[in-house]
Amino acid sequence: MGLKPIITISRGLSTGPSTPVEKPAVKDASDIVTPEAPRDVLVADVISGAPSELRHRPVRIYQPSRNTMQSGSGKSERWRIDFDILQGGGRWENPLMGWASSADYMQGTRISFRSKEDAIHFAEKQGWDYYVQPPVAKRIPPKNYSENFLYRPGKLRIVRTK
Amino acid sequence: MTIIPTRLARPSVVSSSMADARTRALKLYRDWYRAAPEIVSLYALNVSSAYVRHAIRERFEKNRYVTDPRAIDVLLLKGRQDYQETLNLWKQRDHVEGILLAPQHRPHKTFLQKFYEGRDEDSVVPAASGIV
Repeated sequence: MGLKPIITISRGLSTGPSTPVEKPAVKDASDIVTPEAPRDVLVADVISGAPSELRHRPVRIYQPSRNTMQSGSGKSERWRIDFDILQGGGRWENPLMGWASSADYMQGTRISFRSKEDAIHFAEKQGWDYYVQPPVAKRIPPKNYSENFLYRPGKLRIVRTK
Repeated sequence: MTIIPTRLARPSVVSSSMADARTRALKLYRDWYRAAPEIVSLYALNVSSAYVRHAIRERFEKNRYVTDPRAIDVLLLKGRQDYQETLNLWKQRDHVEGILLAPQHRPHKTFLQKFYEGRDEDSVVPAASGIV
């Protein structure tokens, strides 16, 4: 693929139709990505005495979803690390009671952090293979009682029946 | 035997250079190496001092290629503490047999043995279970 002029949509203040505008394919200063300088990360997994098997297990860095109970959005701002579940012989079902069992000592482990950067730093220090799950943008719909009775052409009003 | 808690205690030192860290590591290894017969007699172990030396060597070899000077300093400190605790008889015999002398490498398994165990077997081996 050769360099093509980038076409972007320019929008003015007017509500008229948007017109495509050609942009020259010249990189400006903000487009140039400089490689990140190598960071100084302590190799904590050598010191901690953690089993070396953990280095081959992927960990997930994510923001937990909101609790639907009364705690509301509490604790959902923090970032968590947890280990992916093993799919093979590390898990089994109890033949008598059907309880789920696991030989995986990391499956119940989760670590909380204040920020994503903290979590990434920790995973890097431990030499863990991590991936960051992007947080879901929360949309809180505006609630207004009078909206229920607002006239909108072409749209039926809410009809509530008892 | 009177217990002197500060016997073999060393202050924690920050290595000034990699050469310094190397000297300290060699010193620690030499101390462990010389203490092998004493460890065998102290804990009445049923192994030869050559085997103790072999186990010590394995532990040093594991961290041979650590290049981070901070990590080396911590490892040296931990090694010193371990040495002090071992020679002051602050450990039980099981600590020495199960942790200090436990083999570092698990025996090689054939394809079928691995298959019968399940594919997660390597991931779920606990750190210090003593099970190989």
